[in-house]
Amino acid sequence: MTTTAPDTDLLRQMRGGAADAFAALYRRHQGPLYRFALLRCGSADTAADVVQETFMGLLTDRFRFDPLRGQLQHFLFGVARNLILKSETARQRHVVLGGPDGDDDGKDDLPDDAACPLARLLDNEAAEEVRRALALLAPHYRDAVILYEMHELSYAEIADICQVDIGTVRSRLSRGRAALAKRLAGWRATAGAA
Amino acid sequence: MNNRNTTDRDPMFDVLRTEMGRLGAPRGVEKELLQAFAQLHPPKRRWYHALAARPFALAGGLAGVAAGALVLAFAVRAPHPVGDGHAGALVSLDGNGVFIALDSAERIAAEPAPRMVAADVPRTSLAALGMPLTPENAGDSVRAEMLVAADGQPLALRVSALQ
Repeated sequence: MTTTAPDTDLLRQMRGGAADAFAALYRRHQGPLYRFALLRCGSADTAADVVQETFMGLLTDRFRFDPLRGQLQHFLFGVARNLILKSETARQRHVVLGGPDGDDDGKDDLPDDAACPLARLLDNEAAEEVRRALALLAPHYRDAVILYEMHELSYAEIADICQVDIGTVRSRLSRGRAALAKRLAGWRATAGAA
Repeated sequence: MNNRNTTDRDPMFDVLRTEMGRLGAPRGVEKELLQAFAQLHPPKRRWYHALAARPFALAGGLAGVAAGALVLAFAVRAPHPVGDGHAGALVSLDGNGVFIALDSAERIAAEPAPRMVAADVPRTSLAALGMPLTPENAGDSVRAEMLVAADGQPLALRVSALQ
């Protein structure tokens, strides 16, 4: 079932008890949300959990969406990101990290995936290599790069989702891209030689 | 301010975007969410459920108590015509069907001057006595004959015609 009804109409119907409106909202937004969570945390299971918890929060109004403050999709991205950050924080309490922290190139800030983010997820070699390079970025760079490059959001939209100012988004994006290019340079050389 | 500018997207993401475009959350997620939705929003009661439950509950309940305790499918002694002749005519119209006692048999038998009256009774009031009730006919009334005591107390009732 596909519908062209705006999100706000579907939300209103959903709050009135229309299951098909909720299903339509879910089907419209689950894909981008799942892909964002998958790239962000590198684990299909965690990404599925994040999607489920995000929509459950929407369903129960635990995460209250205000249409006057932006689009539903951006709101969902924001909720998913917060859930991922929360799970990272919870897990880091149980992990003893060694070595200095604060290295801005993200080497020490490895992705938050308990199920090995570097395990192969994609069949396409080039796509998988980009994904792995992305997984090795620091989380705050990864947010900006994923939302900008994969979901084609604007700086302002990313700033809204990540709750930072536009300048910070621009800076994170720039550094994230540079780190990615550095990581992929070796692979590109190898692939080119082959 | 709209900073969206697709021209400065890095082309190396094209292949990743294409490859990931087919991915979505597992089907089980949608199933669980819809189950949760169903629990949060149980089916609403229809209007006729509320109708039967509220305004007519008292009338139906009172009749039900009396009838439930005393539902006796007995043929009341054919009432005597009480002078106006209409009661007799109604009885014959119904083929001398059975009455449902609304009071005790002793009370009915002891009544010195029972009268037979005809009345239109809301169908919903008779639901507790077994009158079939559907959303379509809930607003209808039925023609009933009532055996009434001298003081106006209804003693027994039977349906004579549906309107």
